[in-house]
Amino acid sequence: MERITSFSIKYGFLIVMVLSFIGFGIAEPAFWSWPNLFSILLGVTIYGILALGVTFTLVTDGLDLSVGSTAAMSVMVASYCMVVLELSGISALVICLVIGALIGLMNGLLIVKVKIPDLLATLGTMFLIQGLQLIPSGGRSIGTGMMLPDGEEAMGEFTEGFLYLGQGRAFDLIPIPVIFMLILAVIVYVILEHTRWGRVFYAIGGNAEAARLVGADVDRYRIMAYVLSGSIASFGGVLLAARVGRGDVSSGSGLLLDAVGAALIGFAVLGARKPNAFGTIVGAIFVGMLLNGLTMLNLPYFWQDFIKGGVLVAALAFTFSLAKQR
Amino acid sequence: MTAEKGIQVKGIGKSFGATRALDGVSFDFKPGEIFAMVGANGAGKSTLIKVICGYYPDYEGEIFIDGEKVHFSSPHDATNKGIATVHQIINQGVVQSMTVGENLALAELLAGEGGSILYRPKLIDARAREIAEKMGLGDIDLKREVSDLSQSERQMIAIARALATNPKLLILDEPTSSISERETEFLFETLFRLREMGVAILYVSHRLHEIERIADRVGVIRDGTFGGVLEHPFKVKQIVQAMVGDIDQNVDRQIPDIPVTAIPKMEVRNLVIEPESVPLNLIIHAGEIVGITGLIGAGKSELASVLFGLTKPVSGEIFIDGKPIINRDVKEAIGNGIFMVPEDRTNNAVIPDFSIRKNITLPFMGAFSNAFGLLKHGLESREATRMVEAMGVKCESEKSEIGELSGGNQQKVVVARWLMKEFNLLILDEPFQGVDIRSRHDINSYIHANRGDRAILMLAADLDEVLEVADRVVVMNHGMIVGEQKVGDIDRPTLLHWTSQSLNELQLQA
Repeated sequence: MERITSFSIKYGFLIVMVLSFIGFGIAEPAFWSWPNLFSILLGVTIYGILALGVTFTLVTDGLDLSVGSTAAMSVMVASYCMVVLELSGISALVICLVIGALIGLMNGLLIVKVKIPDLLATLGTMFLIQGLQLIPSGGRSIGTGMMLPDGEEAMGEFTEGFLYLGQGRAFDLIPIPVIFMLILAVIVYVILEHTRWGRVFYAIGGNAEAARLVGADVDRYRIMAYVLSGSIASFGGVLLAARVGRGDVSSGSGLLLDAVGAALIGFAVLGARKPNAFGTIVGAIFVGMLLNGLTMLNLPYFWQDFIKGGVLVAALAFTFSLAKQR
Repeated sequence: MTAEKGIQVKGIGKSFGATRALDGVSFDFKPGEIFAMVGANGAGKSTLIKVICGYYPDYEGEIFIDGEKVHFSSPHDATNKGIATVHQIINQGVVQSMTVGENLALAELLAGEGGSILYRPKLIDARAREIAEKMGLGDIDLKREVSDLSQSERQMIAIARALATNPKLLILDEPTSSISERETEFLFETLFRLREMGVAILYVSHRLHEIERIADRVGVIRDGTFGGVLEHPFKVKQIVQAMVGDIDQNVDRQIPDIPVTAIPKMEVRNLVIEPESVPLNLIIHAGEIVGITGLIGAGKSELASVLFGLTKPVSGEIFIDGKPIINRDVKEAIGNGIFMVPEDRTNNAVIPDFSIRKNITLPFMGAFSNAFGLLKHGLESREATRMVEAMGVKCESEKSEIGELSGGNQQKVVVARWLMKEFNLLILDEPFQGVDIRSRHDINSYIHANRGDRAILMLAADLDEVLEVADRVVVMNHGMIVGEQKVGDIDRPTLLHWTSQSLNELQLQA
């Protein structure tokens, strides 16, 4: 009995995932086609990337609620840079990353120095930048040919290179954003599991006072977690802007919950019971696969949020209830 | 069944999965006696207490109160039937965000005294005052918030509240582990008074000297089984023998010969910790183990905080090998070779979901990673295994979760993390808090055997603990160093006198 429990804690999630993968394929063979599989991955890239950032904050026993609006901000900033200011794609990318890092820095300082609880601080930041991103464009979406406040038309365009980040395909098959997501996942995994810094991040999340008393600079690590989260979120926004090719005001909606959900589902993967990069990415892909498969089986779109919520609650209940018995 | 007074437990057994935690344990607690229960960590004491106080409703065996068989479905049920428990972790026993009065009258507050759903401050206040007076807490301010109180004051509140239910059996789990000697005396007076009143007291403690003093009988638990009862009078030595069998009690002490001219390994010169406090001077020579004792609030931990870079002193200097050093933060202190095992292992030292290995290597991650920060897992594993073996940590492997270990073994891990590197000064703040006697012995002998030419400073409120370890005992009181004795010529009454002098007496002498 005990062995069954510990086996299912460890592999239960992956087994469910493999079974549903097989099930969808049998029910609808088109599910297994390469283009469809990559479209699943492409569908999860943006919030998958955001979830990797959220993982850092979860590891230090915090939570960044501002990742969705940071990504949206990044979409608007990238568009504004190229369309209105007519800057190069590279400059737009760099500016976005810097702004993302600054938002993270602000979150970190509010939490560590001003001592606002993490949820409240990042909730505040979320609203702040959600509003801020609308101001430069006067609340409108940004695209080539849009009317500027001075009556002129914005003549800048998204550069080819920039668009390639979101729309390109390697070998005419693998979407570039998917490659970015997987590379980023590997980097975050290596940092968290195989470097001294990752160990300290986890130690702070486990017992911050104990970490402080072995010489860890807890404040600096905490701030760093939010800076990383902000930078990663803004990178996700860049990819989103490149994919859509315009600065859509509503582009960030829904990203936050999907990202946090993926990171939390990750707790269940391999029985980790803690935030971890591998679980986060697997969690994101699982949700994407489920929605894709169900849609192919003609599940109406308005069921999607319900399914996501169900998966999240089930995964968490599974992890924590079984873990207690151990 | 004869209508015997008091509480009997018969043939109690309890398993957790494949682990047999208790097997056929039988005791009886008579009214008006203090019954001490001892056993090494992991022997099954806590499990037995949890069975008796209703925390584990499913157990084997029977419990009788005054000859009548009872079965507790919950701790609340047990309380109603006359068994009150004060747990070791004080902060689980009080609501920190409430006032003293509200805490004392918590049962009434929760039950809605008088059938009212409204919060009735006057009623609560009156009840709290009644309980406080009965317990001799007359001078405590009922309006203060518990979070402002010291540990011992919180504990007195928890005990007072337990007694307010007029229990037949009062269970005290490690009641003196975080209170000072003076407060302990007060606790004992209370216990003696309760004994007069006919309450049975089950007293669980690692402090055998206390047990020798106050207990009428001692019950021993060994590896989950009943290990016998000792009748008063008994000696600490007998209790230890009953607890752990025969172990070598004597640590090999080699007190180093220190030439008068030697440069001290560590020196504190005119160190003023708080504004207007008396400057402190303290020398520890190479290879010397100095123990500081004193009541809680005597200034021990404050001194340790300064040495470890946690707080800035007002003025004064710290020297290592005759050279002045500055510790602006913990990192700098560690860089200067000053390490500290903090008090309160659970809150300050253990990373709960880390393995033993990760807990051991945490302070020196740099030594276990390359220039890119990538960890050398093999080296880490080998070093952790080496420390685990050297300290005699009882575990499956260094990969086991630290939470699976007993308190004593967790403490070994926490000490081990500082013993992998060369240091100048190692501070051990209350290292034996909630640590069983065998683990104490293991830690003590490892430190003695490996002191080399380094300085070790141990802080403990319990004089016996200090005497177990130190070559020289320094007494602190009200932020001052009031005296010291070498371990060869210890005069217990003098040390206790120094410890317990009031501020007035100290000022008169000065």
